[in-house]
Amino acid sequence: MNARTIWNRLWVTITFIFMLIPLAVSHATQWSLSEALADKISGLVPQQQAFIVSGEVLNFLPKRQLIHEIETRDIAGIQALVNDLMIVAARMTYDPTRDMGAMPLNLTNTSFHRDIVTPAPLRKMQREDGPFSTNRYMFPTSGISTFAGAKIAIYPEDLVAGNVDVAIIGIPSDMSSGRRNAEYGPRYMRAMNTIATRDIQSLLDPMDVLSVVDYGDFYVDNMSSERSVDHITAMVAETASTNAIPMMVGGDTSILYPAVKGIARFKGEKTFGLVHFTAHPDAQRQAAHTISDTQSVFKLINEGIVDGNDVVQIGLRGQAVDVETLKWLGAQGVHYHTMAEVNKRGYARVLKRVKKEVKKGSEKIFVSIDVSVIEPTEMVSAGRIVSNGLKLQQVTEAIRYLCAAKDIVGFEITDMSPMLDYSRLSAVNANAVLNACLVGVAVRKAGLKADYVHPLALNHGN
Amino acid sequence: MRACATRTTFYKYLVLVVLLSCALPTLAQDTRGHVLGTNAYPFDTVDPREEIPLPIELPESVLPMLKSLSAQDIELLKSGRAKQYTGGADDIEKTISAFTPDELQAWVNAIRTVLEASVYKEGRDLANIPLNTDSKSFNAWRMLRPRSLDPEREAGPIALGRYAGFGGPQTFGNFPLALSKEDLIAGEVDVAILGAPLNMGSGWRDSGARATAELRLHGREMGFLDQYVQVAGSKVLKIVDYGDAAVDNLSTERSMEHVRSLVREIAETGAVPMIVGGDHSLAYPNIAALADVYGKEKVSVIHFDSHYDAWWGGPHLISHGLPVYRLLLEGHVRAADYIQMGLRSAGPDKAAFKWMREQGMRYHTMAEIERRGWEAVIDRVVAEASEEGRKLHISFDIDVIDPAFTVATGTPVPGGLDMRESIAIVRRLCSEANVVGFDLVELHPALDPTYRTTQNSVYIIKACITGLAMRKEGLTEKHYLSPVSSEHAVDNYYGDQQKYLDATAAEEVKEEEKKKMKKNDEEEQ
Repeated sequence: MNARTIWNRLWVTITFIFMLIPLAVSHATQWSLSEALADKISGLVPQQQAFIVSGEVLNFLPKRQLIHEIETRDIAGIQALVNDLMIVAARMTYDPTRDMGAMPLNLTNTSFHRDIVTPAPLRKMQREDGPFSTNRYMFPTSGISTFAGAKIAIYPEDLVAGNVDVAIIGIPSDMSSGRRNAEYGPRYMRAMNTIATRDIQSLLDPMDVLSVVDYGDFYVDNMSSERSVDHITAMVAETASTNAIPMMVGGDTSILYPAVKGIARFKGEKTFGLVHFTAHPDAQRQAAHTISDTQSVFKLINEGIVDGNDVVQIGLRGQAVDVETLKWLGAQGVHYHTMAEVNKRGYARVLKRVKKEVKKGSEKIFVSIDVSVIEPTEMVSAGRIVSNGLKLQQVTEAIRYLCAAKDIVGFEITDMSPMLDYSRLSAVNANAVLNACLVGVAVRKAGLKADYVHPLALNHGN
Repeated sequence: MRACATRTTFYKYLVLVVLLSCALPTLAQDTRGHVLGTNAYPFDTVDPREEIPLPIELPESVLPMLKSLSAQDIELLKSGRAKQYTGGADDIEKTISAFTPDELQAWVNAIRTVLEASVYKEGRDLANIPLNTDSKSFNAWRMLRPRSLDPEREAGPIALGRYAGFGGPQTFGNFPLALSKEDLIAGEVDVAILGAPLNMGSGWRDSGARATAELRLHGREMGFLDQYVQVAGSKVLKIVDYGDAAVDNLSTERSMEHVRSLVREIAETGAVPMIVGGDHSLAYPNIAALADVYGKEKVSVIHFDSHYDAWWGGPHLISHGLPVYRLLLEGHVRAADYIQMGLRSAGPDKAAFKWMREQGMRYHTMAEIERRGWEAVIDRVVAEASEEGRKLHISFDIDVIDPAFTVATGTPVPGGLDMRESIAIVRRLCSEANVVGFDLVELHPALDPTYRTTQNSVYIIKACITGLAMRKEGLTEKHYLSPVSSEHAVDNYYGDQQKYLDATAAEEVKEEEKKKMKKNDEEEQ
């Protein structure tokens, strides 16, 4: 161990200890009243005083507003206010005599489940296993739209028989906490297909190197994410077990959880990293619902499906990125990169840092992109749209590299809502993102270096 | 460390047990099972329209081929439920004769697997959709803002504008805002417009959640003068914007009771609740709330829609496809008091139509209009809706209108009403029938870059406001139109010039009388 390493470790330890200090004292110093104000509330009953002094009141009013109210109200006014807020506080939590604790279902219905894959003996058409084409022509220019214009596979036997490398799958969930219509993501991306176009850096056509199929859509219950989770998880695990890479097209970001969980079911928990391009940290830790887009990353880390140290988030911004959330992410070991970092350091430096972090992490990674990460001018149909994002080129550059540099266990693109973009450009750009990963996987399979550029593509030589 | 964790878990468990044992008696007494999610539903949920298929009689010739099967397997093949996979008796013979005994067994097993997988199985399936009842913000979504947080004010409608109502944040029709029942009572409000941005109806799902905001942006004209009848809603009625109801857009079921309580609150003051959606699941809380106030089976409904919405399939108990069935099931409305207008989507099928006919539901499809013509059907509909002066709720799904006018809806169906027809029938109903509630649903503004759908929706709401104002003015005669605006009466082209001149004069006399009475009233006061 050289001196530099020792110094580094020492430095980390010291920093860590200093970081703990504010955490330890933050609760105590968070809130105290000036003497005058403390005097003013001394007329309140003890419970009311405690409600203020403990800081609980700050869950309902910003500090500046509370001070203003105490300063300007008479004692009766303060009493009324605190009393009302205490009532709110008491009603916030679940009360079995008042609140619906679970949503009932129609248990007697004979089609309670629609997520049943047709068993082999009941399939209408008998055919040999393997991907098949939907084209009449040798060199088709139109016809049935599929992802990447690829052949279709329906059952895992097809993937095995076709020795499939990449299965592109639609998961049309539509439960976004923002604007909706992500249900139409898969069908529009198929219709506007620009996936599997030749890569300008390597001059590779991914279809020359990879066996790619359109694996159809997985069933979702769009009245309940809770009822969709198990089926998606099982289907993703089954797909992964054929050794094909599932590349999944959402659907809103609530499917990030079952998609990663499905891969983990086959590959093992905490055996791969997660690189998540997103504006939203999706690390909500307190919610009445047990699953939603805003909880995806929290659930994955909290349930030990991925290791927080092996998670990278890029492009964070917006309302959900608060101090508490960043602290939580940091405490889990998540390598987060906000737009503030991008703006201050420049994207090139941030990307370099991301590459380093990914290199240090697990050899296998799952790459996920919530299209909200992209600047709205290039992705107006992001369900949870936030201004001032990354350029499409910046995102595709990073994804192409990651998919070429690492062993990809799964890829997912979520929350593109086509009906919000009359130009259809968002669907085309979403395809470009998926294409970037497909190209990356092809570059790796062809045995080229991740950042390989064909000399002819760089210089005309004249 | 581990011991410590176990101990903590043990204490948590102990606390839970103690809490539960305290809570259990209360649960048993006060809480309906379906509210807890422990019981599927307090009513029989089996759809009577779902025909149980008759068992298949297998021909003698097939029986020898089934030798390798168990008695149970043969029973399954004969059962009606397997029919969707086996086909009829003839199909069975054809299918089976091609099988080896092993293939036959695999085929029967597959049928059993699918049939068993399609129904609910205790222990395997979620019996309900669970919520995180430990959440500290469990009810945050519907927490009312205490009045003491804002400066004190008198109860009553609040004008947001700086200039006589204008120049502030947009409200429906620029009407003043009311936030509580006290405001409605103090303002003697006639009509309260409530937004309910529920966005769970399927189809083109976005952006029902923005519908109420956009309707406010474009809704300036809701109370304007209606040229046809020369009545301005805002002059005759006291109308308020009642803000939006909180909804949980991850669960329709969870949103229902809260919307219902707000609609009930409005109706209890005697005002007409006008609910602006949001998807059509809202018909359920809206009408149930009217039943809460006026009594079960006391309110009739006229339901404009291209879909019949009385579907009852699938695992969910509420969605935008089944509010009608649930309303009937829970007994809020009698089927015979349920009138439907404009149906033309793929369903109902013959069985569902027969069921509706047996229930006494009065349906008016676009097929009827194609056969009888618009005028005949509209007269029939208005007559049915105004029967015996019964209280009426209008549930208006904008997809009843042709997509040429309202493309921004979740499930558009071509071949619908045009705006001229829609405005006329809504105005007539709101003036000629005893309307106590109105909703307009399924507007998804983001799907229409021209704003046309929102504008047209505003005019449907305006038509009802005008109709309610006409009723208050006593203009309830059949298909009233102003004698001034509907005829120039400068010549005798149609041969009835005098009729219009007389009617105009008569109205002027009435208006004079009214003015006098008003003056007298004021002087007395």
